[in-house]
Amino acid sequence: MSYIAPLPPDAITDPELRALIAEGEALGVPDDLFPRIVARAPEQAVPLMRALLMSHARGNVDHKLKEIMRILLARFANDKYFASLRSRKARAMGLTETRIDEGCFAYEDAGKGFSEAEKCALRYADLMFLDANQVDKAFYDEMKKYWSEAQIMELGAFIAFHYGMAMFMRSLGAQAVG
Amino acid sequence: MAVDPDAVDAAFFDELRRHYSEAEIVELGAFIGFNLGYHTFFGTLKFYPLFSPDGRLVSQVESEKLYGAAPASLKSEAAE
Repeated sequence: MSYIAPLPPDAITDPELRALIAEGEALGVPDDLFPRIVARAPEQAVPLMRALLMSHARGNVDHKLKEIMRILLARFANDKYFASLRSRKARAMGLTETRIDEGCFAYEDAGKGFSEAEKCALRYADLMFLDANQVDKAFYDEMKKYWSEAQIMELGAFIAFHYGMAMFMRSLGAQAVG
Repeated sequence: MAVDPDAVDAAFFDELRRHYSEAEIVELGAFIGFNLGYHTFFGTLKFYPLFSPDGRLVSQVESEKLYGAAPASLKSEAAE
């Protein structure tokens, strides 16, 4: 399942971490594998889980768009764990697998109906680790046409954190169960 | 993890375990992932430290000269 074995669920007694694990399971991202692995370093587990959940499910950017971006990044990182997880909240809001694939592979196609703001955000996730040199002043000027500076920071931090955690889980050879 | 993630395999983790506990390996892995993501993001924002190595408050233009692509401090060290 992973080069570092997850702790058994009943070995995790910190009530704050247990509440965050429950929040992740309710959302669907992450399931309990990620926190049970990081719980081996207990002082790391709570802030990592809090940041993961907050950056994904809260804020001022559409959660469905962030869910597409998260999957795009996990696929780019070749992380089978995070790439296979799905947000129940995004699904309840109408996000489908077809739309996720369109967002990952064909968001620039005019026929797919992504708004200019959505295209710009998806390009941000796409380019950050493909060719960060293209994320330059002109790129940020274009972003500012559609997003506030607060939203751009929310998106940038979200991209950075979720890509980093996807690379971490890839390194562990982790895969979601079920 | 950054340059060749495929090289981080079972044998690599066996080697890590000779030197670090599983808690320390998780701590290192999460730390590396976090920095891998954030330093790339910060790099796109083109901001530099507010203070020079000798403690002066400097402008971003001067700071870029000190800490940017060709840092003056590193050039001076190379000349020594």
